Amino acid sequence: MAKTSVTRRAALRSLGAGAGAIAVLPWLSDEGAQAFAAMQRTGARPALKALTAPQYATLDVLVDAIIPTDERSPGARQARVADYIDLLLSETDAETRQQWVDGLAAVDTEATTRAGAAVVKLSAPQLEGLLTEISRNERQPQTAAERFFVMTKRATIQGYYSSEIGIHKDLRYKGNQFLPEFHGCQTVDGKDCPHCGQKAVV
Amino acid sequence: MQARNNAPAAGAVDPTLALDLSAITAESRKLASAITPNSGPWDVIVVGSGAAGGMAAFQLAMSGIKVLLLEAGRMIDGQKEYRTMEWPYQSMRRHRLPVDERPLAVAEYNFVDRPYGKDPKFEKYKKLTSYAGNAFTHNWVVNEKEHPTTGTPYAWVRARVLGGKTNFWGRGALRYGPLQFKAASLDGFDVDWPIGYEDVAPYYDQVDRLLGCSGTMEGLQQVPDGVFQRPTKLNCVEVSFKRAIAKMGRHFIPGRAGVTTDGVLNNKYRTKCMGRGRCGRGCDLNAAFHSPTALIYPARDTGHVTVRPYSVVSEVLLDAQTNKASGVRVTDMNTREVMDFKARVVILGAGCLDTTRILLNSKSARYPTGMGNSSDVLGRYLSEHLMGIRGSGFIPTRIGTEPTIDDARPVGPYVPRFRNVTDKHPDFIRGYHFQGGGGASEFPGYAADIAGFGKGFKSNVRKYYPALLSLGGFGEVLPVKENRVTLDPEAKDAWGVPVLKFDFKFGDNEKKMALDMADSIEEMLKAAGAEDIRIGREVLPEGWSIHEVGTARMGTDPKTSVTDKYCRLHDVPNVYLADASPFVSGGTQNTTWSILAMCWRTMDFLKEEMRTGRA
Repeated sequence: MAKTSVTRRAALRSLGAGAGAIAVLPWLSDEGAQAFAAMQRTGARPALKALTAPQYATLDVLVDAIIPTDERSPGARQARVADYIDLLLSETDAETRQQWVDGLAAVDTEATTRAGAAVVKLSAPQLEGLLTEISRNERQPQTAAERFFVMTKRATIQGYYSSEIGIHKDLRYKGNQFLPEFHGCQTVDGKDCPHCGQKAVV
Repeated sequence: MQARNNAPAAGAVDPTLALDLSAITAESRKLASAITPNSGPWDVIVVGSGAAGGMAAFQLAMSGIKVLLLEAGRMIDGQKEYRTMEWPYQSMRRHRLPVDERPLAVAEYNFVDRPYGKDPKFEKYKKLTSYAGNAFTHNWVVNEKEHPTTGTPYAWVRARVLGGKTNFWGRGALRYGPLQFKAASLDGFDVDWPIGYEDVAPYYDQVDRLLGCSGTMEGLQQVPDGVFQRPTKLNCVEVSFKRAIAKMGRHFIPGRAGVTTDGVLNNKYRTKCMGRGRCGRGCDLNAAFHSPTALIYPARDTGHVTVRPYSVVSEVLLDAQTNKASGVRVTDMNTREVMDFKARVVILGAGCLDTTRILLNSKSARYPTGMGNSSDVLGRYLSEHLMGIRGSGFIPTRIGTEPTIDDARPVGPYVPRFRNVTDKHPDFIRGYHFQGGGGASEFPGYAADIAGFGKGFKSNVRKYYPALLSLGGFGEVLPVKENRVTLDPEAKDAWGVPVLKFDFKFGDNEKKMALDMADSIEEMLKAAGAEDIRIGREVLPEGWSIHEVGTARMGTDPKTSVTDKYCRLHDVPNVYLADASPFVSGGTQNTTWSILAMCWRTMDFLKEEMRTGRA
């Protein structure tokens, strides 16, 4: 059925969508991975591998605007998401790298057109305005800047929620530990459940 | 947080991907070179070391029968290779594959020409795996470049390592019941199995006791109860869903897992489940059933089993005088040396399709189209499960609440088949079930679907985190004669063995079933009051379920079946099939537990044949 209903074109499109994910998530070499680990350990500035310093600075502003620090947890900057993306980009194909470089340029152009300054120079409200604009068609991005927003957001989600900060501090994920017994919804054990408010007896 | 901060020391290589396997490969090579055709004698040769081969070797060894167990891949070091609890940030690549390896993406199965590994876009990769290749499995699953297939698209997942796919299987341990064994009597399509549930039920019970199976007694004919250990429980969102669909007469029951939750007293290699919820990476406690620790090591400890790794079996050898198999031909994976190993009985448990391939390749003057193929049925009636139809939504009772531990168990819950059980659906025969679950899991996969950015986005990800419920369907694919594999006349694998050519596609019944699956999951999510319901209506590529069955079907008539009701070839009476190749139909249930039970039954029959001198 997949064969009959998925035309080659549709398959290419859907691969294209997948390629978006692949584009930001290539595979890392040992050397690259170690460099990233060292950065995380020491909190040092990255030795950039794919992006220039200004491109990196722009990306860092964007990822931290997508997932900022709030009352619960630090944001994407502290989770070193831009560093992670730079390392991934250093080992992807030239075409994907170029997509990112072009995307960063497109966002800066958009910022300059809208607010008269590059992304890194924007005030908080200006940055908010810019992102509001380029995320407007998130479901079906039309412009280069809009497409770049979707790409960056996906990569930020991937990098942030696989980080220690994202998993433990922000989501407060509690699994993956030794538990002799699983406690589900308390109603299963005949009690009213404090977590969901469901009653033992319906 | 400090306790979790296991970042590798400077200079360390990636702990997930740069495993040092030199010791285990050296041991494997040593074993392989030490075991030659003269190292016997053996009574029985068992081909394959997964659920089928492991159970066959175990049953025979426990009766003092001398077994040569042949595995195409290497031995495994579970303590090193099962990286059960590793956090993504511990792996510097966040659990991504190394730069020169890559799995096939879903869309590629349908539009990249076969063999997949030949496509120029994959040239730069040293290893191209099936979709099932990931940071945890990539050392086990085969390289498509060495193991090509031709014909129609098929996502064939193969693992060549001791234990095969049991090292990372989904742990779903469901029984077939009367609805499967007597399916044809109920709806008139195709034929019944030559045996009934009552023939296999005692063996399912024994498998449950030997290996441990977690579940709840439900009294449902569509998925019979077993001898269960401590069950998993439903979490909050699952209880909401259960209560909602109960009103529709449907069930949502704790998943049944091939995992020992209370421990087993018969096995020193295993301990009980500690609810880490990471079974698919390989369980370093061996609470999950893996063939090596659960079956092969105990079998080897009897002194009756010789395990030879790196043994690629290309064919079963026929003694033309006696019309019996004399043994098998093996190519050593490393040295390429070709050797003939001999025994009284040959058992194939290489996995449904590789077993079929070996038989098709076992050509002789008497059986020019392959051993067991006098009926021209060998390779036909390939079946598996239709996958891809899925649905998700956020359950209101948990939106905006603090997360609890929701995934600390082997498998999520299960909606047993409800179509064509007591009623008759107007559009299709047979049925489907859903597996899935809900609550907080490590990675918020839905985050990309939450609109916007900034603090609002971030807090929305948290808001919905404990509330997600998602389910995916498994539908029965009708066994039809036209769905088949043959040997490709030209293409060969890296060891010179002809490869399988697929001619397999989902049919009209599957198409109609898929439509109903999507509608019914939507209907159930609506009944549960779920928010932001998303329904996936695209069927995944053929083969995705890894539940292939039926290409050497059993039956009473040698003209229309490959084996008798004891999984013994009609053609050559000392060759037995231990995997799912003799299954007549596949139901909707995950196949592993049925393979184990059926194999045990076959071995009981074989032992009696051997004891009485008939085999």
